[in-house]
Amino acid sequence: MDFSPETWDMLGRYVGAGFALGLGGIGAAIGMGMSAGQAGEAMMRQPERHGYLLRTMLIGQAVGGSPSIFALVVGLLILFLPSDAATSGPIFAAAMVGAGLSIGLGCLGSGVGCGWPAAAACDGVARNPRRATPITSAMIIGQAVAQSPSIFATVIALILLFIPLTSTGVVAVGIAIGAGLAMGASALGPGVGSGTTAGGAVRGLSAWPRSQAITIRTMLIGQAVCQTPAIFGMLVAFIMLFTLQDMEMNIIGLAKILGAAIAVGLGGIGPGIGCGMVGDTSCEATAEKPVNDALLLRTMLIGQAVSQSTAIYALIISLVLLFVI
Amino acid sequence: MLDPSVVMTVTDAVLAQAEPQAAITGAEVIKAGALIGAGICMGFGAIGPGIGEGFAAGKACEAIGRSPENAGLLTRTMLIGQAVSESTGIYSLVVALLMLFVVGA
Repeated sequence: MDFSPETWDMLGRYVGAGFALGLGGIGAAIGMGMSAGQAGEAMMRQPERHGYLLRTMLIGQAVGGSPSIFALVVGLLILFLPSDAATSGPIFAAAMVGAGLSIGLGCLGSGVGCGWPAAAACDGVARNPRRATPITSAMIIGQAVAQSPSIFATVIALILLFIPLTSTGVVAVGIAIGAGLAMGASALGPGVGSGTTAGGAVRGLSAWPRSQAITIRTMLIGQAVCQTPAIFGMLVAFIMLFTLQDMEMNIIGLAKILGAAIAVGLGGIGPGIGCGMVGDTSCEATAEKPVNDALLLRTMLIGQAVSQSTAIYALIISLVLLFVI
Repeated sequence: MLDPSVVMTVTDAVLAQAEPQAAITGAEVIKAGALIGAGICMGFGAIGPGIGEGFAAGKACEAIGRSPENAGLLTRTMLIGQAVSESTGIYSLVVALLMLFVVGA
């Protein structure tokens, strides 16, 4: 029993689209639920402010829903992208699965992350309705930055969809799935972490609205540091996609690529979430007492740098697997 | 239900791409296992220390926000706590390097 190229194409498309939407929908759904839950709780306390609250909840959900829209677009491309006889076959199928893993896992983290600022904004608007506009704008900035890991994942998924792999054989199958897994899994933690950082900033600004500029600065620095593991994952994905033509074409080459992808992908989850916890409390404390901002920024950066260390170990292991062994 | 023969066919077809070296020896399988194992070891091993160290640093930031005059003491405690949480990450690194350079070599 041997499969025709068309069968391979369909197999890859259905599995890939399943990963894309199955995983990519989880995050945004959780994030939107957090926002709605907090809005409901706030309405129970202050029912007369339901108009403000409904508006804030809907804005937060609309912006926080965009990772799932990326996943939907890429999922539809995976299903319906035209393929020709030259590209059909197992390697095309693997590229579809890899694109699905990248976008699915990548959008999961950002979708959950966008829920924290949205929930904090609903709570803040209920307590302090006159400050609804600055609270909402801090929420939108935080959510937009929290989405960048999902944008990295979209880029890698689109490269897998539109640029045929130059390698052949079992190594090409490994590269397609490995690049998707490295990017997708490593974007998961940074998406969540950037979101918790933004949540802390919005929570702080709701209570102490005067320190807006300094809090948003600390939030943006914290979010940028949170995203380092996703950048490591994207780096490894690019290395896999464009520089591994001379990898040996056997099961050991496949093992090196998959091992490197698992190391850098999973290794990014913890540091991303951990950096987010640091950013969360640091932003809130900066909003409360902006006079301490230099001290808090320094402590946040030291804490985040130390949390990143395991992501750097994971990057080293994956580079050793790809280039040294 | 998933038919096992379909899974076997897919696995065989993926491995058949490895031609012309179609015959896979036991030594190659062991080396491949060590290489993937190194990746799994470092990947999963990095999750816990990352979250744990972030938790410690988050609490330190919260405490410094409340009492900035104790910043030196708090930073020192944070770094000691993080260094201890780091230990399992270093174990993972050591085991991954062993699998790369000793077992899988």
